[in-house]
Amino acid sequence: MADMSVVWLRVAAGLYSLGLLHAILTLVRHRENLFRVALGAFWLGAVFHLVSIVEEGLSIQHCPITNFYETLSMCAFLIVLLYLFIYWRYQLESLSVFIFPLVFVMALVATMGNPVNSWTSPVVRDAWLTVHIVLVLLGFAALLFTAVASLLYLFQERELKSKKPRKLSWLPPLGTLDDLIWKSMALGFTLMTLAVIAASTWAFIEHKEAWIRQPAIAISFFTWGTYLALVFLRVTAGWRGRKAAIMTVTVLGFSALTWAAHAHLGGMLKP
Amino acid sequence: MKLLLTGVSHKTAPVEVRECLAFREESLPAVLGALKAREGVSEAVILSTCNRVEIFLTTEDSADPQAIVDGFLAEQKALNPQTIEPHIYRHQGREAIHHLFRVAASLDSMVVGEPQILGQLKTAYAAAKASGALCGWLDGLYTRAFSVAKRVRSETGIGQMAVSVSYAAVELARKIFGSLENRTIMLVGAGKMSELAARHLRRSGASHVFVTNRTPERAAEMAALFQGTPVDYTRFLSMLPEVDIVVASSGAPHYILRKEDMQRVIAARRNRPMFLIDIAVPRNIEPSVNEIDNVFLYDIDDLQEVVNANLRERMKEAERAEALVADEVDRTMARLKVAEITPTIVGLQEQLEQIRAGELDKVRRRYGPFSPQQEEALEALTRGIINKVAHGPISALRLHSAQPDGAHVVAAIRKAFHLQD
Repeated sequence: MADMSVVWLRVAAGLYSLGLLHAILTLVRHRENLFRVALGAFWLGAVFHLVSIVEEGLSIQHCPITNFYETLSMCAFLIVLLYLFIYWRYQLESLSVFIFPLVFVMALVATMGNPVNSWTSPVVRDAWLTVHIVLVLLGFAALLFTAVASLLYLFQERELKSKKPRKLSWLPPLGTLDDLIWKSMALGFTLMTLAVIAASTWAFIEHKEAWIRQPAIAISFFTWGTYLALVFLRVTAGWRGRKAAIMTVTVLGFSALTWAAHAHLGGMLKP
Repeated sequence: MKLLLTGVSHKTAPVEVRECLAFREESLPAVLGALKAREGVSEAVILSTCNRVEIFLTTEDSADPQAIVDGFLAEQKALNPQTIEPHIYRHQGREAIHHLFRVAASLDSMVVGEPQILGQLKTAYAAAKASGALCGWLDGLYTRAFSVAKRVRSETGIGQMAVSVSYAAVELARKIFGSLENRTIMLVGAGKMSELAARHLRRSGASHVFVTNRTPERAAEMAALFQGTPVDYTRFLSMLPEVDIVVASSGAPHYILRKEDMQRVIAARRNRPMFLIDIAVPRNIEPSVNEIDNVFLYDIDDLQEVVNANLRERMKEAERAEALVADEVDRTMARLKVAEITPTIVGLQEQLEQIRAGELDKVRRRYGPFSPQQEEALEALTRGIINKVAHGPISALRLHSAQPDGAHVVAAIRKAFHLQD
């Protein structure tokens, strides 16, 4: 990509990051008070994003969808336009919990097409990777909590539906489990998102422009996407019980797969 | 000391007899005073509730407690002894303690495990204490009974499960929502049953009550009871998404809440769980509503089934509680026996010490004075002798005091050593 185009895109991604913050706050604190600010930033981000795409188009004298990064940028921009249109037409605020983080991550990844200088200091490099690993492990633990609580929820729900609520009387009430599911999910998602950002940056600097073509990375993004979908369905449609449990266990499964795909990661830490 | 517990309860006497024997709470101080004033009475407690009247008495060994109680009842209540005699139970000694512990632990209650009886017993205890009728051993026994009751409550599940339909509903609501704080209730139909259920739910923390009824006046009346809001009968369906718990008890001859309605309601609630209680006959809510995710529907039979299961469970817990109570009675009896023989042991030791001191004086007068070393040797020698002599009877006392024939052993030893009564 042209250098200036990447700069504009970085500015756009920075503005979109407010959207991610909004989504996280909505999850953690059950309030949507940052929405106005995030939406404003989203608008502004869209303008810079457009500038970036036009700049890129002018520099290559072609519609900028010639490589992965350009296509991703274009795709993110189209999603932005679509969301802004939907919002203008239907005032659909809740969709932002899904769209804002998605657009941010897409834009962030799109800025990572131009290789930058490698790590100047191995300490920084290792610290960066360590942060990523710690975040992922914490996120994984939170996700495990969500999954266990979801399964208990399922048992308790069966029990209450069967109208013989005696056998498993030690199970906590549905309300308590639901609260636990919500909180652990919000925490887990926040940690995983930060981990994904840390990891993309690390991989980009470490592996230059080829980083995106690694299957382990594709799996990671896919897993994060399923997590995002889970969170979104919970927030908007209030998915509980069977559907939520299946979904959570699925996310947990993908997370395990991602872990397996990254199994060599710890070895990259220099002693 | 003699113990006697005399009483009637819902198990032995019909209400006509119980009401004749009952004492009003205001009259208790005077009545207890009169009882305590009788010859031979050491301590007394009177428990008078709607299900039982019991008089617990301790007397001196020389008194006849049954005659005292009979005389007291004849004085207080104009009763024909023949009519009440078949209903009265009298427990002495160990039996009396066992009965008291069972009553305190709510094992003798009409609804086993109900918690009110302990409160009533504490009131009776306080009244006796205030009027000076409790001043020693019986006081300790009642305190013991309260801690036995507490132990039974904490170590068995006897009081944990709801045994009435409305409490079962509250228990289920707790299973669904966790805390009932800030939950809203809708009463559909303003009957007695729904009022009771709403009262329990409200007491458990539910925040607001909506009431709807075919006759709006009745709805307004009921809503006023709970500081709630009456809702127009034609509009109640549109209010449902705001409501967590529905209690349906209307007299409608057909379903007033169908599966399609509930599907819309639950979607509007974004799948937040809902608890529907249908206590109407014929039923108000279509049974297939229970198939919808996050909706929990219980009709009157379902609730009754929960209650029955709980009752069965309570009976099982009551068996464990009985064993626990029996164990506590044994301990109390053992402690009582030890307390009883203590004066004998002390008397025996004093007696022997007196003999030793006397004999030592005689020796001193005849052969003294002795050097400190000699004094020390004599002291050790004589003390050793009396300790050896006392060892046999004291261990016999300790060993036999808890046995049924203990009293004879105690009497024999007292006699052998010339101990005064």
